[in-house]
Amino acid sequence: MRKETEYLKKESINVKLLRAELLFAPFLIIVPILVSLFLINDWFYRGFSRGVSTYDGELILAIIILAGNILFDIPFIKSLITLSRK
Amino acid sequence: MLRMKKLKTAKQKIINQQLEIRKKIDSIEFEAHWFRRVFHTFAASFLIYYMLPDESWITTLKTFLAVGIVVFVFILEYLRIKGKICNSNFFGLRIYEEKRPASYVYFGVALCILLVFFPQQIAIPCILCACFSDPIIGEIRYRLGKKKAYVIGFFVCMLFFLITWYTADIPILLLASLLGASAAVVGEAKKFWLIDDDFMIQILPAIILLLLWQGLMFGGINILPAELLLPI
Repeated sequence: MRKETEYLKKESINVKLLRAELLFAPFLIIVPILVSLFLINDWFYRGFSRGVSTYDGELILAIIILAGNILFDIPFIKSLITLSRK
Repeated sequence: MLRMKKLKTAKQKIINQQLEIRKKIDSIEFEAHWFRRVFHTFAASFLIYYMLPDESWITTLKTFLAVGIVVFVFILEYLRIKGKICNSNFFGLRIYEEKRPASYVYFGVALCILLVFFPQQIAIPCILCACFSDPIIGEIRYRLGKKKAYVIGFFVCMLFFLITWYTADIPILLLASLLGASAAVVGEAKKFWLIDDDFMIQILPAIILLLLWQGLMFGGINILPAELLLPI
């Protein structure tokens, strides 16, 4: 029976690979934040400031993307900090 | 006597070293676990696709770009499974993904299908389910068990459908949300060896809502609400 939570273990800890993943982390964290900020900005200028409610969906999605990402970014960053200390 | 003592110390040293290595491996597993979760939530950024201008050349370009990325990923996975690229070059792979395409391929294919072929009113909640409900269900399942995870997951999925369809009439809103959330949870809960839950959680609710929409269109009723994201 397969164990779903088990990961493939590398015979040797590839430092180069880990470093690449650590470098990739800022991209995973920053892009969703930028996207949500862009959506909020668009909602504000095209919708809110002109009194058009058609763009309210952008604000809702921006909040979902921002909140959802922050929720998982915090433990991810914590795990990265713990890893980098080792 | 002294020799026995030395042997015991040496044995203890080896055990300690093994424990240290085990700790290091565990920390990498833990990091891989959160890495996978963040990869899911990151994918919500692809919703920016709907904000791109509606001009024909941009539509063609973004369609080709989406398909191109999926084709590239397919080639990469083919080479990995065939052993041309070593598994160790991929971070956070699970054991059962060693001999079959990894989850991110299924995720990417489903995302691409939804973005290119489905109306955004159907695609957006399905993508949100895969991006946020899937990791939330995973975390709750790990902490509180399967049953609670799927119940909470159902309400989280339903919230995404309610938010996306909020401009629809209340009976339609409730029907679409209940059907969509149920299908998403079934897609997540039902495990297949070949088809990953990252694919099912997106495509199953999308197909059900598409059938509902098209079925009612035959009766002259258009249930699709207004679009959430408008091109710039």
